[in-house]
Amino acid sequence: MFCLPKSSFRGGVHPLHDIGGGKLPTRAEPIRAYSPDTVAIPMAMHLGAPAVPIVNKGDRVKIGQLIGEAQHPRSLAVHASVSGEVIAIEQRMQLGANPALCVVIRNDFADEWVDGLKGYGNVEEADPALIVPAIRDAGICGMGGATFPTHVKLTPPPGKQCNTVILNAAECETHMTCDHRLMLERPVKIIDGLRAAMRAVGAARGVIAIEDNKPDAAKRMSETARGRKGVEVAMLRTKYPQGSEKQIIKAVTNREVPSGGLPIDIGVIVINVATAAAIADAVIDGRPLISRITTVTGHVKVPSNLELPIGTVVQDAITACDGYSDAPAKIIMGGGMTGFCAHDDSISIAKGSGGIVVLNEREAALVDEAPCIRCARCVSTCPAGLNPYLIRRMCDRDDMDGAEQEHVMDCLLCGCCSYICPAHRFLTATFKITKERIAQSRRK
Amino acid sequence: MKLTVSTAPHVHSHNSTRRIMLDVIIALLPAAGVGIYLFGYMAGLHVLIGMGAAVLVEYLWQKLTKQAVRVNDFSAALTGLLLALNMPVDAPLWVTAMGSVVAIILVKQLFGGIGGNFLNPALAARALLVASWPAHMTAFTAPTYFAATDAVSSATPLVTQYGYMELFMGRIPGTIGEVCKLAIIVGFLYLLIRGVITWHIPVLLLGTLAFCTWLFGGTDGAFTGDPLYAVLSGGAMFGAVFMATDYTTSPMTIKGEVIYAIGCGLLIALIREFGSYTEGVTYAILIMNIVTPLLDKYIGPNLYGEVKKRA
Amino acid sequence: MPKRSMSSVFLNGIVTENPTFRLVLGLCPTLAVTTSAINGVGMGLAATVVLIGSNVVISLLRNIIPNKVRIPAFIVVICTFVTLIQMLMQAFVYELYESLGLFIPLIVVNCIILARAEAFACKNGVLASALDGIGMGVGFTIALTLIAAIRELIGNGTVFGLNLLGDAYEPMLIMILPAGGFITLGLLLGIINKLTEVTAGKKEA
Repeated sequence: MFCLPKSSFRGGVHPLHDIGGGKLPTRAEPIRAYSPDTVAIPMAMHLGAPAVPIVNKGDRVKIGQLIGEAQHPRSLAVHASVSGEVIAIEQRMQLGANPALCVVIRNDFADEWVDGLKGYGNVEEADPALIVPAIRDAGICGMGGATFPTHVKLTPPPGKQCNTVILNAAECETHMTCDHRLMLERPVKIIDGLRAAMRAVGAARGVIAIEDNKPDAAKRMSETARGRKGVEVAMLRTKYPQGSEKQIIKAVTNREVPSGGLPIDIGVIVINVATAAAIADAVIDGRPLISRITTVTGHVKVPSNLELPIGTVVQDAITACDGYSDAPAKIIMGGGMTGFCAHDDSISIAKGSGGIVVLNEREAALVDEAPCIRCARCVSTCPAGLNPYLIRRMCDRDDMDGAEQEHVMDCLLCGCCSYICPAHRFLTATFKITKERIAQSRRK
Repeated sequence: MKLTVSTAPHVHSHNSTRRIMLDVIIALLPAAGVGIYLFGYMAGLHVLIGMGAAVLVEYLWQKLTKQAVRVNDFSAALTGLLLALNMPVDAPLWVTAMGSVVAIILVKQLFGGIGGNFLNPALAARALLVASWPAHMTAFTAPTYFAATDAVSSATPLVTQYGYMELFMGRIPGTIGEVCKLAIIVGFLYLLIRGVITWHIPVLLLGTLAFCTWLFGGTDGAFTGDPLYAVLSGGAMFGAVFMATDYTTSPMTIKGEVIYAIGCGLLIALIREFGSYTEGVTYAILIMNIVTPLLDKYIGPNLYGEVKKRA
Repeated sequence: MPKRSMSSVFLNGIVTENPTFRLVLGLCPTLAVTTSAINGVGMGLAATVVLIGSNVVISLLRNIIPNKVRIPAFIVVICTFVTLIQMLMQAFVYELYESLGLFIPLIVVNCIILARAEAFACKNGVLASALDGIGMGVGFTIALTLIAAIRELIGNGTVFGLNLLGDAYEPMLIMILPAGGFITLGLLLGIINKLTEVTAGKKEA
């Protein structure tokens, strides 16, 4: 085991931590388990076709019991996260005010696990061919926020070989400390998960990539990784978006994923820390993904890192933190740079929800756009190497072809340009809409 | 529960157009202060008139054309200040006011307001003033500081020899803001520390100017020129730090800025040595302003993951 | 081509298709000679005479000139009139001839004249062509005089040599330099576009 020299990528920003305190209030908060009275588990928590409920109202379910079946190779199974009675199967508004079918379970606090869960006991002895099916059956998707089904990611397309698995422990987003805490408290599980992923795809090298603002986590991971085959720790410069897939690959391997390509094209797979821990649970114990660690911070009385059953409603998570400390004006699901706004605190914690940030009225105030002054800050910070000011000008003229030629499709939507823009221009928002429009016209 | 829903990012760097413009104004204060100290209260009046006229005209124009009034972003004030610091102290005050009107209306607002102009407003206005009232714009008075009673017009410092120390401290004839190089360097350092500009344009511009002057600026053949004199005299340093670095009219990428700065330095040296004007900073920067869109078109940032075609 | 009334043919050149402000043709003399109002008028009138003459002759010959060599033929006709004008000016208004200088022979390649020959005279009758020539010529003259008067007023304090702004006025020299021509033309084009936009908006409403 050795430490690579600190490396990074071009561009990026250092987000200020002045809104809602940033990472500071929660970075020393140990993970605390909390179980709510009811959970509403959405059937669509991943990128792909939603699962189909296989339980009925009134059924009694146990923890880990399959309640939603994947009926498509890219769909994912959903499991009960608490034991109790199914009290409703109904449409509920989720993130982005999209309705999703939810299975609502009343918790009986019996903490009774379903029978017959069987793992392989040890990741080093499990048959590599059986690891991916185990991950699929556990319903694991990328827990860093992208929610891409992990079993699909760990099945390289024919002809492609993976040689490096990068464990994304950068946690470059503002406010979030859940991965940091997980590394400090459950390092063995994370490395087990990494080893399982490496063995599943036959990769010889596994790199745990950590930003240098978490030296304690890096030390813990280095100590734990000692003696584990092919596992090393890489220290990365603290810079947003260090944890973006393409940027972390550039920082670790000094190679760039071709434009429009996937990491597997250069033999790399990136998985998140929390995903690795879930993989370890699935392979060792056969446990499905039923809970996740979420950082709840901002204007709550006790900012915390909570281990919550999937489907916990935001309101209950706030209650677990003793409630709001100021009138909430904005609730961000995720971090400050890429998180989505909740329209209400009744939405559920899904597999990809790593953070809840509550902002008060002052912090949520919107600022009007001013004209672009061509200061070039967006160009120098864009980690994808785009000309955000130029793309925005084309979007304003409705010139979709021009925007496409300026590589708007390579935009990561990381938010750096909007963050840095002195004229407060809505750059990222415009590019998001533009990307969707272009993707739509391509599908036609 | 009523919640704000907006798109990411939800955090912002807190820099603003206003803050940037204010920073440049602060960076110009030493130069303005020394200018007033050296040239007397008239220099102060030029500054006041220049800034006042610019702000007033921008306000009136935006009211008249029913646009959002944006004078509180300080960009008009900055333009007025830059223009005033580029005036010889003996020019009539109405010339400065006229320059502000030209800069704001003709160069800035008619091309779409802040960010839309293709020329640096203060410089373009100065060029127009020089062409319109050459007698007023080229009468450089030695500062009252060392010629208290007998302020005579003299040739620009590019013609007469002065000591390096006099050039550096500003005890030379010239425009209000350009004479004291020490004050300009203080302003430059402030801008660097505040992250408003990078070092590339000023340093490369002056470096190119020094090298070119050394190369062909001497009287005894190649490599006999006086690079230090070239950098310290005239408006080279003021132009390099405050004029060439204007966001709107300089390139967007570092590579573009390098070419832009070298082009400016080369043109200044060429105009000074071979042109009919003794000073070429204004025209050199204006010419490179016009080249900027071309540089932006052909020199973009390196795209992440771009598949390089093999030659 | 739809039949148009003679008055609309005449007004076409002055308003709707003013060669300078709407078609933006013949910019070289427009920018170069408009340093004083008298130059503007002189240039405008010289071009008008050539325009009327060439329009009439080309209209007369329109069925004789073979299509393939029409441009050289037009040029020959235009040349004839330009030479005539040049000699007449040299004889009677020598001072104006001197100040316009090279730009009189350059009327030959003035694109307004060639454009009217190509676009109008070779397709229309003699009377219509003559009217078109007058209209275009008058439009051109008005435009030139307007630009020149503005430039002379600001750049020299006078219009047609009359001192309008008093002796205390310090002329803004740039207006009678080439740059001033561009600035004036640009501003006038902008104002006229804005005005047409306003009137068009009114018609729609």
